[in-house]
Amino acid sequence: MLAVASLSRNNEPLSLEGVGTAMAHHGELLQGVFEVGNGRLLRGLVTLPLPAMTSRATFIATRSTDITVRPHGRAKAGVAARLTLDHLAIAEGGAVDIVSDIPIGHGYGSSTADVVAVIRAVADAYSSHLQPSRISQLAVAAEKASDAIAFGEQALLFAQRQGVVLEHFGGALPPLLLVGFKTRDGLPIDTLNLPPPRYDQAEIQQFRVLRGLIAHAVRYQDATCLGRAATASARISQRHLPKEQFDQVLAIAEDAGACGVQVAHSGSLIGIIFDRTGKNLRRRAGRVAGLAKRLGFREVAFHQINDDGARW
Amino acid sequence: MVALDADYFRELETPRIAVLSANLVAAVFPLMKLMPARYILDRAAAEGALRPGHRIVESTSGTFGMALALLAAARGYRLTLVTASSLIDAKYRARLEGIGARIIVTEDPDGNGDQVRRLQELQRIRSEEPHCFWPRQYDNPQNALSYAALAETLVRSMGRIDCLVGCVGSGGSLCGTGAFLRMIFPQMSIIAVDTHHSILFGQPVGRRLLRGLGNSLLPANLDHELVDEVHWVGAYPAFKGARDLLREHGIFQGPTSAAAALVARWIADSRPGARVAVIMPDEGHRYADTVFDDAWLASLPGWPGATPSKPRMLTTVEHASETEWTRFAWARRSLDQVRQAHSTH
Repeated sequence: MLAVASLSRNNEPLSLEGVGTAMAHHGELLQGVFEVGNGRLLRGLVTLPLPAMTSRATFIATRSTDITVRPHGRAKAGVAARLTLDHLAIAEGGAVDIVSDIPIGHGYGSSTADVVAVIRAVADAYSSHLQPSRISQLAVAAEKASDAIAFGEQALLFAQRQGVVLEHFGGALPPLLLVGFKTRDGLPIDTLNLPPPRYDQAEIQQFRVLRGLIAHAVRYQDATCLGRAATASARISQRHLPKEQFDQVLAIAEDAGACGVQVAHSGSLIGIIFDRTGKNLRRRAGRVAGLAKRLGFREVAFHQINDDGARW
Repeated sequence: MVALDADYFRELETPRIAVLSANLVAAVFPLMKLMPARYILDRAAAEGALRPGHRIVESTSGTFGMALALLAAARGYRLTLVTASSLIDAKYRARLEGIGARIIVTEDPDGNGDQVRRLQELQRIRSEEPHCFWPRQYDNPQNALSYAALAETLVRSMGRIDCLVGCVGSGGSLCGTGAFLRMIFPQMSIIAVDTHHSILFGQPVGRRLLRGLGNSLLPANLDHELVDEVHWVGAYPAFKGARDLLREHGIFQGPTSAAAALVARWIADSRPGARVAVIMPDEGHRYADTVFDDAWLASLPGWPGATPSKPRMLTTVEHASETEWTRFAWARRSLDQVRQAHSTH
């Protein structure tokens, strides 16, 4: 977006306005603990981006140092605005306005999307373009942990508490069709106050295998391998934040010849992953959606991921 | 500038990935046992059970000892290895002692590896020395866990794997790698490669000519119920296979790797739609004066003999000669289940 920036003769800003957007996600394909060299372990995740839902932020600079945020109660967005201004060495504040269609508290990453949109809006107001790595670090500073959506559809293993990329898988995920839904008891979850799971040695070793499989899946655009990795990660997550009727979901997915099942590891979302290029997709995905509804899952929806404009 | 990771062992334990045919991929290790050795020592150090200056003691027939010796030398641990006279040659012993390992050799008149006496000797050392760390490669579950690194390497390059072939000695590499891969590919077949006179899959104990696989004791790291099929490869086809690997693929590995390769190639040929991975545990240098020496081979009784091009199918577990290659449908059973099935026949 172009900033509206006009300067008077004495260089006083008259009106600076910027806009930024960020996408939601549908939880993770993989979340766990990973070795990063020298035996050091970091928490990390592979986000499943959901470009169809977005948060859109507007930032209007003011001469006062205050920052105001609308709607009320999105304090982290205000912190993100301040941190971004500090990064740009701007003392003044401004007004943040967020319009988002991302549901809060179910694992869609609404909070990070708001924060990233605000960071982009502030940068835009000052005609700056920030790299995804910088945006992620500002996002982590604003909300303690962040997901990888500043990188858009790029597939990567991301350390959510450090805001650093542990491994870039070298491209985007293969084209997928996701049948997504929420668990029946899916109350909103306060992601950041959830105690982080403690994984045992065997689980940490499993995570490294899944990381390798996702690297292969992205490199060779192999939806089946991606689904296998996601299913294994979801199974491990079941030991830490169990979702009701998970076994039934696995059975439905297998019967329908889906690639696998993914979950929001700190939310209530579940997704059944189909290869977008598979045969009889409409019939198989439709059947899965019907069965999920019958089991009592809520807000069953189809999401196209990296469809590249194709219809199904 | 990024800090350099001064840990060459990570590289040394990483196999080369060699594509041998359209559906056969080999993980070719210089020294596979570094993978469990480093993992076990790292964990012990992290938990405070092992500090520089402490002694490590282990019973080993060779390569696990070499891995421990390299790590102990680089990290300042003392090391005692207990082995049997049938298992170690003078050159290998000199290499180990040259980097500071103390070697205790038991007599082993029966040529079966003498595991029982080796373990007694090991216990004696442990009782004499405080702060003595015993990695327990045969029974320590960390041995199997360490092979997640191999499973990762394999899936990174291959993606889907339908069949895993590997030798069994401690059970760590095949069962560890196999269990991690089964977590993603539950239908994957696991093919165990053993040798005649090894008790691992129910053969009677006896003198073994082919070393580096098989066992005269039953290690806890062998999970029989993971195994779909067992092959017993005699020393002769394995020795010949080592020469073939070098000639046909430029791969200079020991006869243990060759035994695995022999089985894997047959599996890959008989299941053309399946993607087969095979584990090759160590290099051929140790066998330069034996398997890779024509005069030494010619001195073997009956060498070369008839070369089996495929395994002979067994309906009950039984011993065969060193020139033979046999197989048995294990079908993910326990050792007891297989024994009971035999006794009811």
